[in-house]
Amino acid sequence: MAPPSLLNRSLRFAAAASLIFPLSSTATDEPKPKPENTITLELGEPVPVQKFEHPPKFWISDVTDRSGNPQPLLVLKERGGIFLDRQPAAIVKDSLESSLKAANLLAPDLASADLVIRLYVFHFGLASGSALDFFGKVEFSGMVKNPKTGESLEVKAIGTSIANGAVRKKNIQKNVQENIEAALRDATRNFVRGTQLKDAVAQLHGADLPATTAAPAAAPN
Amino acid sequence: MRRLMMVLALAGLCAAAASARPKDQATVYKSAEAKHFSTAEGVELSPAFADYFYAELRNELTKSKLVSEVIGEGEAVDDSDAAKSLVISGTITEYKKGSVVKSALIGFGAGFKSLKMDADVIRRSDKQNLCTIQVHVKVDPRWNEKVMAKGAAHEMVKEMKKALSEGEKSAAPTAAKPS
Repeated sequence: MAPPSLLNRSLRFAAAASLIFPLSSTATDEPKPKPENTITLELGEPVPVQKFEHPPKFWISDVTDRSGNPQPLLVLKERGGIFLDRQPAAIVKDSLESSLKAANLLAPDLASADLVIRLYVFHFGLASGSALDFFGKVEFSGMVKNPKTGESLEVKAIGTSIANGAVRKKNIQKNVQENIEAALRDATRNFVRGTQLKDAVAQLHGADLPATTAAPAAAPN
Repeated sequence: MRRLMMVLALAGLCAAAASARPKDQATVYKSAEAKHFSTAEGVELSPAFADYFYAELRNELTKSKLVSEVIGEGEAVDDSDAAKSLVISGTITEYKKGSVVKSALIGFGAGFKSLKMDADVIRRSDKQNLCTIQVHVKVDPRWNEKVMAKGAAHEMVKEMKKALSEGEKSAAPTAAKPS
């Protein structure tokens, strides 16, 4: 058998290299989630909810991630990456549920809820900052719906936090975690203590109550 | 001579105590709500700038200890606390991109990025305008616009602190007068 020509050999080498090289280059660029670069976000103490005239029972039915982020778990790509241990939608849902539960405003199930909230997460994690610090931003909105009447209103919430930058990987991870936790807490607070939620409850739940109590009085004849 | 020295030392101590008082003074305002600043027509800044400036302003307000609590936009405040609650809103009136070439060739601040903004500090209870602040920030054109936001927020809170303390000083004698 005749030995392959130089051209043939170089072609084979180029084909092999084109198959192997991109794999090796992407392997070095793309960070992988490991226990040491994965952070767990917790709200800590539940956020105190505002007082309502007629406190309703809420139920969070569904959370949709509308951020359009192809890698929602990846918070920071540089320095080997920082990952979240859960989906942002699940973290937002948990933080809202814990705060509502602490205020005794969480219904045990969907059937017994006065108002149903459907959440849409628009941003969760770090946003572009000044490069000197970390800018954490959590933005979501909730469609508050009265299941009896079918009426719904939108309540928006935004939480921001700015943390100092860091050089060491350990400190970067710590600062990023604290920063996103602060932004999550801020957004949760913005939602549960906001005037938008107050107005939505007054309109959707408050309107529901007088209708039932006023109905017999309105029809005396 | 010794007596004179003692009197001078006492006077110095009193002056130091008087100057230290405003710093140690407990915060007068309970809460402050910073709103997203609107942009005037013709101001070409990225939408992310408003968010970053909002976050920086809140951060600077917290650091300054001007108020006990910095609340988010649109958060409810108890009626009893409304008299001691501030609302900060404003407009970015002018933004100039600057020129790297001018800055490099001429120097001395030529070609710098420039940002002008106006802010109103309002008391929540009666909507009284406590002060109006105008801030003008200039930064190197090679710097990120977020650095400019940082500088603007810092400057704004500094001016606000000054204006509010001056307002308190001028209001104090009138408030002390018996009606």
